[in-house]
Amino acid sequence: MSDLHLEIKNLIIEALGLEDMTPADLPSDLTLFGEGLGLDSVDALELGLAIQKRFGIKIDAEAKDTRTHFANVASLAAFVSAHQAA
Amino acid sequence: MQFDIDQWRAWAPGLDSAEDWRAWCAAPRRLIDAQQQPDVGFLPALQRRRLSRLARMMFHVAWPLAADHPPLPLVFLSRHGETPRTLAILTDLARDEPLSPTQFSLSVHNAIIGLWSILRQDTSEMTALAAEGDGLEQAVLDACGLLADGAPAVLLVVAEEAPPALFDGHIDDVPFPYAVALRLSAGQGWSLALENGDGPRADWPHSLNLLRCLLGLQPSLRHHWKRRQWTWSRPHP
Repeated sequence: MSDLHLEIKNLIIEALGLEDMTPADLPSDLTLFGEGLGLDSVDALELGLAIQKRFGIKIDAEAKDTRTHFANVASLAAFVSAHQAA
Repeated sequence: MQFDIDQWRAWAPGLDSAEDWRAWCAAPRRLIDAQQQPDVGFLPALQRRRLSRLARMMFHVAWPLAADHPPLPLVFLSRHGETPRTLAILTDLARDEPLSPTQFSLSVHNAIIGLWSILRQDTSEMTALAAEGDGLEQAVLDACGLLADGAPAVLLVVAEEAPPALFDGHIDDVPFPYAVALRLSAGQGWSLALENGDGPRADWPHSLNLLRCLLGLQPSLRHHWKRRQWTWSRPHP
């Protein structure tokens, strides 16, 4: 597991209050919203805010590929990496 | 007003069972709040995670009373509500930081009854009240209205969280966090009467005083608040 994947997993657990969960319970390819982990729209806003605060990335909730970036931990890590490199 | 109290349950840090409360009523004292969390293990983790301690207290005392009673109208009373959440939001605002959507959506006074309605899948009439010293009696008045309207039973829950330290010296009516749930139904076991009258302020929140009557340690009870005199009694104990 890469450091960035681990950091994002911990961020999800912390920001969304997923008591009882550890990064090991959160595979990088697990779907976060709806089916899979079962997060909802309030979680999406909360997670967006957490990513924004931690990595300094402005997220456009209206952009059509935002949904793709938030699909799972791996896609979020790719999104964060791309912005950090830019 | 006449009604029955079919069942009750109360929680405060370190006090849970009727025996715990019997001992407290015999020697009432301020409790130390070590941030104990009431058990809400009957909810899946994904549903539990957004519940503040105030919400957990409410769910802990009310859930067993509602277990065999779908659907059940609810009167929720809290003078101070989610004060810790509101303070967290105001603090973020003052620092020019973005607000947490979760904190924001759950800070309103009726958020807890909303969660209750969703998690119990109960769409009965539910009310969230905020009132001063005699809020308990005002909430009973509301509950009796629902009973008179034909509800077979009504759930009444009083819950207060310890205010954040910033409010020290400003909030003096929450000696420790507590929650009390009553299930009321139509009947003549209890009577609550209102008259004009002055008297001393009660030593403890009214719902905690009421526990002495509920435990049978005292036959009646009188509460005063702003020239209102409320008398609780059990005409047919």
